[in-house]
Amino acid sequence: MKQTAYRAGSVQATRSSSRRRLHDRVTHSPDETLALGRELATLLSPPCLVLLEGELGSGKTVLAKGIAAGLGAAAESEVNSPTFALVHEYAGRRRVYHLDLYRVESARELASLGLEELLTQDATIIVEWGAKLLHVDAPVPRFEIYLEHRGEGERRIRVEEVAD
Amino acid sequence: MLVLGIESSCDETAAAVVADGERILSNVVASQILTHERFGGVVPELASREHLRRIGPVIDEACARAGVSLADVDALAVTEGPGLIGSLLVGVVYAKALAEALAKPVVGVNHLEGHIHAVMLENKIARAANPEIEIAEFPNVTLVVSGGHTVLYRVEADQGDDGTAHRPQFRYTRLGQTRDDAAGEAFDKVAKLLALGYPGGPVIDRLSTHGNPDAVDFGRVRMKGNPLDFSFSGLKTAVLYRVRGTALEREAEDRRQWQHDLRREGKRPAADELRTHCSQETLDLIASFQSTVVNDLVERSLVAAESEAVSSVFVSGGVACNSLLRLRAVEAARVQGLGCFFPSLALATDNAAMIAAAGFFKLAAGQRADVTLTAHASFPLGVESGARDVHVQNPNG
Repeated sequence: MKQTAYRAGSVQATRSSSRRRLHDRVTHSPDETLALGRELATLLSPPCLVLLEGELGSGKTVLAKGIAAGLGAAAESEVNSPTFALVHEYAGRRRVYHLDLYRVESARELASLGLEELLTQDATIIVEWGAKLLHVDAPVPRFEIYLEHRGEGERRIRVEEVAD
Repeated sequence: MLVLGIESSCDETAAAVVADGERILSNVVASQILTHERFGGVVPELASREHLRRIGPVIDEACARAGVSLADVDALAVTEGPGLIGSLLVGVVYAKALAEALAKPVVGVNHLEGHIHAVMLENKIARAANPEIEIAEFPNVTLVVSGGHTVLYRVEADQGDDGTAHRPQFRYTRLGQTRDDAAGEAFDKVAKLLALGYPGGPVIDRLSTHGNPDAVDFGRVRMKGNPLDFSFSGLKTAVLYRVRGTALEREAEDRRQWQHDLRREGKRPAADELRTHCSQETLDLIASFQSTVVNDLVERSLVAAESEAVSSVFVSGGVACNSLLRLRAVEAARVQGLGCFFPSLALATDNAAMIAAAGFFKLAAGQRADVTLTAHASFPLGVESGARDVHVQNPNG
């Protein structure tokens, strides 16, 4: 397996960003993760970028559901994994782009997604496997969310707001 | 009417010539699986570059095998979505340019509608050879299940009032869909987790025949809300928990290394060879995972057929190639007194014959795409079941 061209956080050190911890929470069920997503939605005002990072099955899509539903972009049941299509667009009361970089391997492929264009819109952009975007300069507020397995059903979820 | 179908929504570049929506004159598919195998999935930019390289030759080949020239084709049909946007655009732009140059009509087709039509096309071909074969009727419940989709539809055919019985128009109602991962995506992710190679579906299907499907009880997926929705993410995570920190994880690492070394020598592992690198515990885990997915797909499809009071079930899409799904769906449908229809393997996976067949009915009804025809990454088919009454009043809406 080829390693990705990105190293999470490697560019981070070279720039002076301020970072604020908003949440450090343990959820015990998908429902609790959904609820946290809905709660996070109240903190977000578009345009903004929400990066979700965590291994397979750590709850990224569930959290994205909660955020998109909390923003009024789509019903929870309409939000599913964008691994195949790479980008899902939900245009309810608010607009949400839901990206998944699981299959994106290089900077060139990343460029082909047209992220810059998405960022110019009045939208919330949620990115699964978002560590691949940590080095991207985005002219919008950025939230980084780290999800970890903590045994069956339990997830530790840390939320940080980053201002460049 | 000769329709040239073009399909490029994911990793296959395909073109086909189909007569009157029922006779396949040619069906050419250039797969990119070898290109993508190294990455354990479809890599989007690779996909669009490969489509671009192959689309011209694939269309030429489709015409040559059909024994026709482009000038003989009456119309074009092209997949407009859903899929990878860069890949779709290659097909759509090529089809529009070709239609313009040939001064022929072109129509856009939803990829999911294509999969549904694959079942009808297969049935027409089979019945042309043997009229004894049961006819695939409407209304029915269709499960479209692949790497990107897991959706249940009610499909109805309007025969029309003017005697155009052989050219029905179709209506689709979405009864349920996956809330997280598609079934094929779960196969791919579990295969990646266990270092079994890509695509995950065929390899898990083959290896599962050597494992005990009842070895691991994953329980059943219970859905709150719509009971016809699917969820496979929890199952994928359950597999992860069974592997993480155990001997199975080290075994997967060894397999990864072994395959990596083989690739460096330019070799590919043969299926039997892969099996010798899997412990019985791994084979049992894979077989149990597959059995759980298959049971869930079959059960919800039959519940849908019962609540929709239809007499047959169609299953299509790449996962419809899964041998256990074919076996269990046919058996369960028989017990419930329902007809059960699958396309052949060649028509179940992505192909352009199904796009040409679906496009034929649109063209026959006078539909034409104009210059605004474009690609859509997200492109739902039909109406949701909640909105059905509204739709029935506006069948052309």
